[in-house]
Amino acid sequence: MEEQLKNDFEKSFKNSNFSSKSISLKKEFLNKFIKDGLPNKSLENWKFSDINQIIKKEIGDLSFYNDISTPNKIDSAIYLNGLEQNSIVFINGRAEKIDFQFEEKNKIEILDDFELNNNYSEINSLIDLNSAFVEKSFKILIKENYSLKKPLVIYHYTNKKIKSKNINLRLNFILEKNSSLKLIDVLNDISEKNFINTFYSFKLNQDAILKNYKIDNKNNNNIKYSFTNIEHEKNSLSETFIVSSGSNFNKNEINCNLNGKYASAFINGIFSLNKKKHHEIRTSVNHLTELTKSYQLIKSVLENEARAVYQGKIYVNSEAQKTDGYQLSKAVLLDETTEFNAKPELEIYADDVKCSHGSASGSLNENSIFYLMSRGLNYKEAKELLIKGFLLDVVEKITDSEIKNLIKNIVGLKE
Amino acid sequence: MKIDSSQISREKEIEKLKKYKYGFSTEIENIKAPKGLSEEVIKFISNMKKEPQWLLDWRLKAYNRLKALKEPDWQKPKYPKIDYQDLYYYSAPKSFKEKPKSLDDLDPKLLETYKKLGIPLQEQKRLNNIAVDAVFDSVSVATTFKDKLTEKGIIFCSISEAIQKHPELVKKYLGSVIPLTDHFFATLNSAVFTDGSFVYVPPGVRCPMELSTYFRINASDTGQFERTLIIADKGSYVSYLEGCTAPMRDENQLHAANVELVALDDAEIKYSTVQNWYPGDKDGKGGIYNFVTKRGLCKGKNSKISWTQVETGSAITWKYPSCILKGDNSIGEFYSIAITNNHQKADTGTKMIHIGKNTRSKIISKGISAGFSDMTYRGLVDIAAKANNSRNYTQCDSLLMGNKCGAHTVPYIKNKNSESNLAHEATTSKISEEQLHYCQQRGLNSEEAVGLIVNGFCKEVLQQLPMEFAVEAQKLVGISLEGSVG
Amino acid sequence: MLKINNLKAKVEEKSILNGFTLNINPGEVHAIMGPNGSGKSTLSNILSGKKGYDVSGEILFENSDLFSLETEERAHKGIFLAFQYPLEIPGVNTSVFLKTSLNAIRKARGEKELDALEFLKLVKQKSKDLKFDEEKLNRQLNVGFSGGEKKKNEILQMSILNPKLSILDETDSGLDIDALKIVANGVNSLRRKNNAFLIITHYQRLLDYIKPDHVHVLMNGKIIKSGGPELALELEKKGYESFS
Ligand SMILES: Nc1ncnc2c1ncn2[C@@H]1O[C@H](COP(=O)(O)OP(=O)(O)OP(=O)(O)O)[C@@H](O)[C@H]1O
Ligand SMILES: [Mg+2]
Repeated sequence: MEEQLKNDFEKSFKNSNFSSKSISLKKEFLNKFIKDGLPNKSLENWKFSDINQIIKKEIGDLSFYNDISTPNKIDSAIYLNGLEQNSIVFINGRAEKIDFQFEEKNKIEILDDFELNNNYSEINSLIDLNSAFVEKSFKILIKENYSLKKPLVIYHYTNKKIKSKNINLRLNFILEKNSSLKLIDVLNDISEKNFINTFYSFKLNQDAILKNYKIDNKNNNNIKYSFTNIEHEKNSLSETFIVSSGSNFNKNEINCNLNGKYASAFINGIFSLNKKKHHEIRTSVNHLTELTKSYQLIKSVLENEARAVYQGKIYVNSEAQKTDGYQLSKAVLLDETTEFNAKPELEIYADDVKCSHGSASGSLNENSIFYLMSRGLNYKEAKELLIKGFLLDVVEKITDSEIKNLIKNIVGLKE
Repeated sequence: MKIDSSQISREKEIEKLKKYKYGFSTEIENIKAPKGLSEEVIKFISNMKKEPQWLLDWRLKAYNRLKALKEPDWQKPKYPKIDYQDLYYYSAPKSFKEKPKSLDDLDPKLLETYKKLGIPLQEQKRLNNIAVDAVFDSVSVATTFKDKLTEKGIIFCSISEAIQKHPELVKKYLGSVIPLTDHFFATLNSAVFTDGSFVYVPPGVRCPMELSTYFRINASDTGQFERTLIIADKGSYVSYLEGCTAPMRDENQLHAANVELVALDDAEIKYSTVQNWYPGDKDGKGGIYNFVTKRGLCKGKNSKISWTQVETGSAITWKYPSCILKGDNSIGEFYSIAITNNHQKADTGTKMIHIGKNTRSKIISKGISAGFSDMTYRGLVDIAAKANNSRNYTQCDSLLMGNKCGAHTVPYIKNKNSESNLAHEATTSKISEEQLHYCQQRGLNSEEAVGLIVNGFCKEVLQQLPMEFAVEAQKLVGISLEGSVG
Repeated sequence: MLKINNLKAKVEEKSILNGFTLNINPGEVHAIMGPNGSGKSTLSNILSGKKGYDVSGEILFENSDLFSLETEERAHKGIFLAFQYPLEIPGVNTSVFLKTSLNAIRKARGEKELDALEFLKLVKQKSKDLKFDEEKLNRQLNVGFSGGEKKKNEILQMSILNPKLSILDETDSGLDIDALKIVANGVNSLRRKNNAFLIITHYQRLLDYIKPDHVHVLMNGKIIKSGGPELALELEKKGYESFS
């Protein structure tokens, strides 16, 4: 792979606009990635999902060079219906369109700025890979006291033109004081056997609010990894909701640092998996000062050789008194061939805290099925109703009612 | 005037860490193997114990394997590198060159030691209804109530004696639960183990009394590597207790025991530990490294293995008493209280491996950390694809006292069976101010109040202990937390 | 016995008691009545030594400064608080708790501690007097007790500890009619020349059974009116509004 990486790197950046400083920085990341390779199961965080093996098996050799010189035509069918929206469209990793039509122009700044900082170099080798190869590094800044009038939808679309490729995306958001953003990520792939590596970073200044809905529900044969870092200042709030269902493999990592008092993070998600899919959500919520709050609820429904993994960690340092941290994961295994793995973790160094986690997995409750059948439903209907209710419970946590309905529609949970 | 709790507790914070009660050492002349680990030392140990060739071969195989193994480093408590060449692997009182035939031949100093520890070995003062096997440094010094057990066909003796007298049983089961190659410390133990207890309960026999081993590390620079093997044959029952203390020494001492349990069809083994090795002083100097491997195999159908542990001692405790639930309908239980204070560290928990159908497991873990200590619960529940209709329930509660200590809960949960159900719950909290106030209003001082509330917190586990031990353990819980209130 | 002089108490800058003054002599029974949130429980909490209040003023108990004593030292000296909301302590056996408490107090007073048998005898007698179901003594302290059972448990503890000053914070709320009589009888039978009671209640009914020597009306953190038992009757008729 080393040869390939070096060649693809040369090819990618020989005629680029990057400064020589940036290029040499990128080279450092490349070398770091060459040294570490793709993460494998000997690393604690990758114990349940050996992405090295998975890529080898599902894709084989990857190519890292991605030609973004020619624009792609946007098929209007990709847009979410019935939602007034701002949008950013990526096709095969190329930014085709950035449109904030509903917003005041001077309230949002967009910089295409490769001002790579090294802050994120210690996370894992996939971030290094991303830093080395990413073409555009958008920085989107939302000005003080401005709340976006409409949600921003980011379309991650791939088509048949690419295969066995690694695509890297990076977006940085800065929400200034008292600003707010609703962001929907829609994953939509026609392509097959690519590895898509996305890195988001959010900085939430005081009183800022972020709502991020990540929707992966269209069946496809790609391998996906996404890392989201959220820095919270005083009294800021983030709500992350994940629908993990469509891709062949998908691992979502969410890291929240609660740096300011009264900051809170909510992470909810559903896994609805079948057909040998293997998905993981790994969260790590770090309570770094007093009076912060976090809440996580993850539910899975698995069938047909599917495998779901939830690793969730709540960390509370010794300053973070009066932390309120909660985490629950529940899984329903519908047949013999499925597997659910969980590692809910608490690491706590302050004594005046309220932290708990729970995890439960197993079959659907036969008593409930029986109850429903006694009311006239057949077995299949009873089962479906219970599953629906099981998942709806999480979807109901979405605080934006318009988006909640949209997501209910998308995942087929409309009552 | 503002009255807040920290102010008052600070005023009250007088240094009053009780001296470790068992911190004396006994002056006894020892025979030691030469320092260090080598084929020669292993041969020396085997020779001293007049072992058969097969066992020496087995030890050497472990030793060769060990050379290829690395010391694990994934655990949370880190410790300075142990120089395995700077340890004695065998130490026995000189008077033991020939094993004493009866207690009358025992060195009076030894008898005195055990008396001081509250474990009288002499006939007239024996503990009621508990048969004791006392292990001093590397060797078993006395086993009480032998006759009464022999009547029922129960074998309870030192493992050295079992190797001589019941080689077929030892050969069949030794290493059958913890394989030679398992991991670094278990393999080390297999190479150099010195003594320990052996129990065999024949089919259908309910052992009429508690069996107990009392471990004592005395010699300095000496690692203690006992090996315990308990076999409960079909339809039998045995309850086994283990207690441990060590003198106060400035250096760290290594204790790497292996305990193997085998329960055949319909058999039940209850294994209780009250671990009170020397924890080091309040600045974290000295103390035992307690790195033990304990594993039970529910081999037969309807068998049951239950681990109960109260871990209050040692500088570092690192152990995961586990159950392999192989027989259909077998049951594994783990009840644990772990308390760390000052600079102690503990990384403990269990593994429940469900292989058979209808297997059940239950984990109740109560962790309490105070001072500058660090406590980790680490556990694995693994339900195999064929383990239909299995159940696990896990509850892990942690109490923190102060914000210089840590509590870490790391459960690994793997479920591959759709008919099986797993539930895990964990909480971390502190003792509520309201509860403290209520107790104090009834006249208890803050330490008594904390002791009472903490004992209540631990109740579910304490209840699992045999009576005699439960009272001891309850006191230990109080003592371990002294000086940490506030 | 108890002298409270110009007691003020604040929690997080919120004033709860604003110059509370009260004298209780040995042998007396005082009743305090007052609307919800007027500061009654705050007063009893402060008397028992609960932390977290910003207090000023003076409280003397048998001529010594109460503020300089820890909660348990106050208990040793004979102050008993029957809590409005008795705490649940999981895992702790009720009778073990009682014995620990009694012996802690006896020890502090230089009296001989009771052994298991003596204690059992005492607790059996007292439970019988108070019609307290003995089975509950073997349950975890207050865990799963009904509201009324918790209150009765408080009175049982009071009768066993035999305090000098008993503060009953709404012990009557939640009791059924029979239990109310039993509790009142319990209190009456403990009345001596050298001990005293401070009874916090919302209902005149309790005072039919326990005749108070003095009744005080507490509003906005202050006693606004004191009188004899007739004051309670007047309150029952007119309500608090007529006093404000
Ligand atoms: N720790 C606290 N923090 C904030 N407010 C408090 C606190 N404790 C008491 N208060 C407030 O002080 C006031 C007095 O409370 P207190 O419990 O003493 O009332 P009370 O007279 O006993 O009422 P009730 O009849 O309902 O029992 C209330 O308004 C209450 O909300
Ligand atoms: Mg009140």
